[in-house]
Amino acid sequence: MLYSIETKSLTKSFGDVTAVNDISFSVENGEIFGFLGPNGAGKSTTIMILTTLLKPTSGKALISGFDVLTNAKQVRQNIGYVQQETTVDEYLTGRENLLLQAKLNHIPKNEINKRIDEILDLIELTEKQNESVVTYSGGMRKRLDIAGGLLHRPKVLFLDEPTVGLDIQTRRKIWEYIKKIHDEFEMTIFLTTHYMEEADQLCDRIGIIDDGKIQIIDTPENMKNAMGNEVISIILEGENRDSFLSQIQKIEFVNKINEDGSKLTLFASNGTEVIPKIFQISSELDIKITSISLTQPTLDDVFISYTGHEIRDDDSRFNRKREHAKMTRLRA
Amino acid sequence: MNTLMYDTYTIFWRELKRYKKSRSGVLIRLIQPAIWIIVIGNTFSGTQPLIQSVGFQGEYIEFMAPGVIILTAIFTSIFGGVNTLWDRRYGFMNKALTSPISRSAIALGKMSAISLIAALQASLILGIALAIGVTFPNPIMIAPIMAIVILFSLGFSGISVMVAATAKSQETFWGVINFLGMPLFMLSPALFPLELLPDWLAAIAKLNPVTYTVLLVREMMTGISEGGIPIFLSLGIIFAFVLVMVGLASYVFTREVNKPF
Repeated sequence: MLYSIETKSLTKSFGDVTAVNDISFSVENGEIFGFLGPNGAGKSTTIMILTTLLKPTSGKALISGFDVLTNAKQVRQNIGYVQQETTVDEYLTGRENLLLQAKLNHIPKNEINKRIDEILDLIELTEKQNESVVTYSGGMRKRLDIAGGLLHRPKVLFLDEPTVGLDIQTRRKIWEYIKKIHDEFEMTIFLTTHYMEEADQLCDRIGIIDDGKIQIIDTPENMKNAMGNEVISIILEGENRDSFLSQIQKIEFVNKINEDGSKLTLFASNGTEVIPKIFQISSELDIKITSISLTQPTLDDVFISYTGHEIRDDDSRFNRKREHAKMTRLRA
Repeated sequence: MNTLMYDTYTIFWRELKRYKKSRSGVLIRLIQPAIWIIVIGNTFSGTQPLIQSVGFQGEYIEFMAPGVIILTAIFTSIFGGVNTLWDRRYGFMNKALTSPISRSAIALGKMSAISLIAALQASLILGIALAIGVTFPNPIMIAPIMAIVILFSLGFSGISVMVAATAKSQETFWGVINFLGMPLFMLSPALFPLELLPDWLAAIAKLNPVTYTVLLVREMMTGISEGGIPIFLSLGIIFAFVLVMVGLASYVFTREVNKPF
């Protein structure tokens, strides 16, 4: 079967820093595939390889069967790319921006106006089309940017962090547009994000990437189910932590335990029966539990269980060397 | 070939749109050459006998006005490539690079837009020159003069695009451009005739394409030939300079933008 996106042992190094490390995955036609990971995990590097902006150090990447290295031109004819930063031209009007995009992507002359009208209608910017983009809000600019990426009806649309920096209402609105365009044009969408909710809302399948490696690929549902249907979070004080850990590991129904400082996260399939047992063990070992809670698993929990840390901007495992290499690459 | 022209025009169209929307920039860029022509033109008016001594019958301001027109063309075009750096920083470049258009079309579109803009700015300076009393024996010559200015600016926009594609920061770009621009202007007969330069300076000036452009444009404006260089030699040198620069710029640009920024 021909995949929309296929990578085989894809690797990209900058000096002695490996940003993308031997990743292999495939995305089916018409799928919305989410690439989820913290800042610096390798998401943008992967997208830049898939869109022919960076050459892989080793491995292979195919878009609709075309190799990004040897058939770059065909790849470019088949993709739309919406970058993380909004790249619409402030000096031009909304319509002029789309016109530029149409010409860059060789849309036939007699089609251009029809397509632009159509897309303006879809993103609800018809009324503002002849105003300079300077007067647009952040959400409107992003919508225009996304519209530009799909004007030529690419087979694969890349969205790099499509809602980063937008407020929550705007973010939800953008999700609606993404779903709408996906239904309308039946294109494959590859998106990166570090918002769990976004991945959960939009994606058919999710790949979690951390430290340049794919940790898991599955549907959001399966990921949550695999965790067990309940999450118990415990904050505790006291010595004897190791024996506490080893004892609660033996409790029936406990699938997995994550440790993060004084906080323990347990994934269990029958939480209400597990909690009393935890208290029993803690009193035996003279460990004080300062708080305990029982919740449904979210993708956040899935993420933590696969990467061992939370997804957040001020990553405590901030890798100075990697960041330095990245900044050198960006700024040089 | 057709695609290349279509794509070049796309980029050209975009650059001109941006230029049109930045009206304040148009005027600001005129201030410096206007000062040159008004202040230097009058300050050095006492050098008229010197200039006449090498055969130029006319006022100093008439002698240097073509020089200032070329100055405007040089600086507008050599600065013009700077938005390549913004394009790379703010994503337009990546947008263009992931579309099916070729890299050389981006470079060629930028260069042709820059040279047209440079010629527009130069024509405004020509207007100022006429307004302050520079006479023009043969007004029909305006069209070929502008054609020469566009051609010449195309060569300099090539230098600019090349430096901008290679430089990774604004600081590097401005450093290199200022290092190149001023000497290229000064080492030419724009302000003083070649005959009055010391031999070694005159020899260097004769390697400079600006020299031939100034001589050609001045001859077209005033009708007075100087330096004993035939028109066809000047034209040939300008053409060769432009061809080399455009070719080199497309090559360097294509090579550089394929590297990560």
